[in-house]
This record gives sequence, structure tokens and C-alpha cells, in this order.
Amino acid sequence: MTPLLSLRQVSKTFGTGPRAVDAVRNVSFDVTHGECLAVVGESGSGKTTLANMILGVFGQSSGEIWFDGKGLPTRRTLEHRSAIQLVQQNPLSSLNPKRSVGASIRLGLDVFGIGTRSDRWRLVEDALEEVGLPGDFRRRSPAALSGGQCQRVAIARALACQSRLVILDEPTSALDVLVQARVLRLLEDLRRDKGLSYVFITHDLSVVRNVADRVAVFREGELVECAETRAIFEDPKVDYTRQLIGAVPVISDDELKLRESLSGGLPA
Amino acid sequence: MSEVLAIRDLCLRFRGYSGVSEVLHGISLDIRAGERVALVGESGSGKSVTARIVLGLLQELPSAQVEGGLFFEGEDLNRLSRRQWQALRGTSISMIFQDPTSSLNPVFTIGTQFAEVLRRRDPGLSREAADERAGTLLQSVSIHDHARVLGAYPFQLSGGMNQRVVIAMALANHPSLLIADEPGTALDVTVQAKTLKLMHELVEQSGTAVFFISHNLGVVREFADRVFVIYRGRIVEQGPTPAIFEDPGHAYTRALMAAVPRITGGGLPDLNDSETAFLEPMVVHEGGDA
Repeated sequence: MTPLLSLRQVSKTFGTGPRAVDAVRNVSFDVTHGECLAVVGESGSGKTTLANMILGVFGQSSGEIWFDGKGLPTRRTLEHRSAIQLVQQNPLSSLNPKRSVGASIRLGLDVFGIGTRSDRWRLVEDALEEVGLPGDFRRRSPAALSGGQCQRVAIARALACQSRLVILDEPTSALDVLVQARVLRLLEDLRRDKGLSYVFITHDLSVVRNVADRVAVFREGELVECAETRAIFEDPKVDYTRQLIGAVPVISDDELKLRESLSGGLPA
Repeated sequence: MSEVLAIRDLCLRFRGYSGVSEVLHGISLDIRAGERVALVGESGSGKSVTARIVLGLLQELPSAQVEGGLFFEGEDLNRLSRRQWQALRGTSISMIFQDPTSSLNPVFTIGTQFAEVLRRRDPGLSREAADERAGTLLQSVSIHDHARVLGAYPFQLSGGMNQRVVIAMALANHPSLLIADEPGTALDVTVQAKTLKLMHELVEQSGTAVFFISHNLGVVREFADRVFVIYRGRIVEQGPTPAIFEDPGHAYTRALMAAVPRITGGGLPDLNDSETAFLEPMVVHEGGDA
């Protein structure tokens, strides 16, 4: 089966001459249908640049990005734009404060021509109900919602556009741990029920362990290791991966044992 | 052992357009000399306001009503004048904030800001002497090219570097109490681990007591001697760190622990949403009372 998303030798350079920065270097990986691929790495490792290239915010400097068996052009069609959606880190700032929640969700439907005009408010309410919010929340402004509710709205917005691949850029980093657990559970359920694929960008390895099928570890723009989640945590091949796992603060003795068995030490 | 900080029945209310909202409902806690005490809770539970009250910052807001006892090294803080309180900040009590880059002034170099801190205890200190002392202090936080760092502006340094500078500044005047409000949250996980290890070593050497505020249970387990769990402005559980983590007694603490994803796997937790149980009375573990 062809993978849903496929990156081949993708690079991105910002600027030219001596001040050029290679943000992403020769990255290749696949995301299959229904898979959750975690992209982990520290700030500046190129995670968000990668997301922006997949979304078509800007083009890659070299290499190819394939979606559902076809090469993605730099100028995306409406169909591509609706199929690949983004959920950002800060839910409050990713929603327009001057629009009601419903208007924000409906904008995508209008742009992509999903449903008939008379039908769209119903679709908006359906999307809200799918993420566990009452349909009449569509009249509220984002400022009247909590962080967790805002993040649910952002997820509903991505769902309403009939997306097939969702890029989750640190979707729970700004949330409290109890709220995080609920949002992660929701994302899991939606993936299973709707057959979505996720690129889950995060620096939180304990979240990755519990949601991802495979993990891609980035360091300074390069893909240093990509393997099944279990293999990454139980038998990491690269020292940097060991260091990342070794730095995760843990709360139980079992975890401490796992962390010590890897004993990568902290990077200099 | 003598108490560095004692908070007795602290209440906080904010007056706003929509009436009065109660933020703290009478919390009590104490920190002994050289001890590391953590206050853990979710956003909005009242962690950071507690820290700001100890520094006397909230009392200056006209909309805030603060009641309750505050004692620092036996002295009643409520009786201090503004000037006396100001004299404590940065000398006997210092604070580290969450985001190091925004807690440093962007228009002055690190050297200038360091000299300002050192002159709080030693007003006549020359710039050369200040730079020399700052250099030694930066060495202690593993910054070895201190000449470059002292001449740099905060935006020219990385977040981890800035946080180390802030830690060095906070400990420069040998405070007896350091308040650390989510000191690692804005940093990468490896940088956070290194920063916390460094802070741990430094406070151990200097015998500084630490009031550590965090929402991250893993960080708390690794850093603190004693833990206070706060929920909606009430302390719900307190005790020595091992007791809290091995045998959490309060429904809220148990829910918090269950919600933390584990690196050993096991999938996502199932949460039972019985928030009424979170309002059960406080659980105090043996050794949690001072």
C-alpha cells in the first residue's frame, strides 16, 4: 500500500551565502494510513520547519513530498489544503479572538466548499460534538473557553475540513496534565474512528511513548533515528535518543529503572 | 530546625468587574532552613500568586485583598514598610521566573544587570569588582566564557544560558530563601534536566531553602524534599516527597499521578471525572507537618 505521506531527501535552507541556515537536511520518512508518527527533538531541531513544508506554508529547497501517491506541488490545490490540517500549540492564540468559535470552524468549510451553504452550521455543530463540546458552543468567543476547550475547537476545525492527515504541533504542551490526558484520549479515539493519520510534533517523550506508532528523532535539522516506539524506548540505537529519554522527569520507580538502564547521561 | 518561611491561613481575593473572586482559601505551609519544598498544582490553582504574596508584590495591587500570617525568619512580613520589603527582595529572598528571556531586561547587558543585583547588598561596589564577582558566579553555573556573556544582551543568549544567568543572579547575594516559579518549563527537556541538577547542587552547597513551584510531578519528585499539593486555592495533601509519590492519599493527587503519561508505556490513562472527590479534606502524611 502506498504511504499517505512520503518525504524524499527533503531539505530547507533559509537565507543565502555565508549566513544561510540549513534548517532541515535530507530528511526522508513515510507516514502510512492511520498511523501516528511522532517527531521529537529540541527547539531548533527543525520540527516546525518540517511541519510548514508538509502544510505548504513554504516550499522545500530540495527533495520531494508525496501525498497519497502523488507529488505535492509548492502551490497547493484546495483539495490538498483541506486534506492536510494543523493543530497548533497555543489554542488561545491559534483561534481568531474576534470570530465566534463556530465562525472559525465554518471559515474552512466555506473556503474548501464543503457541504451546502445551508448545511454548514449543522456540520460545524457536528464537528464540535465530535470533540465532546455541545453544539451551541459555536456562538461563544474563544476568550470564553478554557485552554482545553479551545484545543478541542482547534481539533474540531481540522476535522470539519475533512482532513486525512493532521499535523499536531505540540498540541498538549500548553495544557494541564489532567486536561492533557483527556485531549490525548480524544485524539486517539478520533484517529481510530476516522482513520486519520497524525504527525505528532512534541518534545514530551512520555506522551510519545503512549500515543505514537513510530518515532522520528530530529537533531539540528537531521533525522538521527526513526523506529517503532517500543524499539526507540527499549533499545535506542543513537546516543542522542538515550540522552533525550534520560532527561525526562519521571514519577515512578519503574520509569527510573528504565531511564537508568539507558544511562546516556546529559549532553554537554 | 528553624523555619525560614511560614505562611499561616493565607487568603486572597481579587475584586473585579464581576464581583469578588476568591483565589486562596486559607493555605498554610512552612519551609525550614535549607529545605526544598514544592507547591504542585494546575494552572489557576493559586501557586504563582502565593509566591508573589511572599515577595510582597500582590499586596501592591489595589484589586487584591490579602489576609493571613507571613513570617520570614521569625519576622512578621505584614508589618514591614514598603521600603523594608523592597530591601528584602533580591537579597534575603530572591526569585527565578518561568521564562528567563523575558525576566531579564532586553536593553541592558548581562554585566550591567548583574552589577545592579550585586549592588543591592553592596551599594558601593565598583563595576570592575562587580564583573569579577559575576565572573566567579557564572563559573559556578558552568558558564566558562563569562566575559562574552557579561557583554551580551539577553536575546543574544539561548534560553538555557539565560536561565543559568538568572540562577547565578538569584543566588549572588546568598539569599536564605529562593522562590523558583516553574524554572524549567520554558526550556528543552535536556536543558531543563541540566538546569535543575545545577540548581540542586548550588542550593545544597549554599544551604539556601527553596520554595519550588511547578505543575510537573516528575520534576517535583526529583527536586523536592517535601510536597504540598494545591487544588483551587486549598492545600489538599502534604508530606515528604517519597510518601506522596508512593502512597498518594487524596483523590486529586491520585488523579494527577494517574494522568501523567509514563515512559514505560501502558497507554493513556482512563480518567474518572469525579471532581467532587477533589474537595475532600486535606491529607497530611507523617513528617509533612513542621
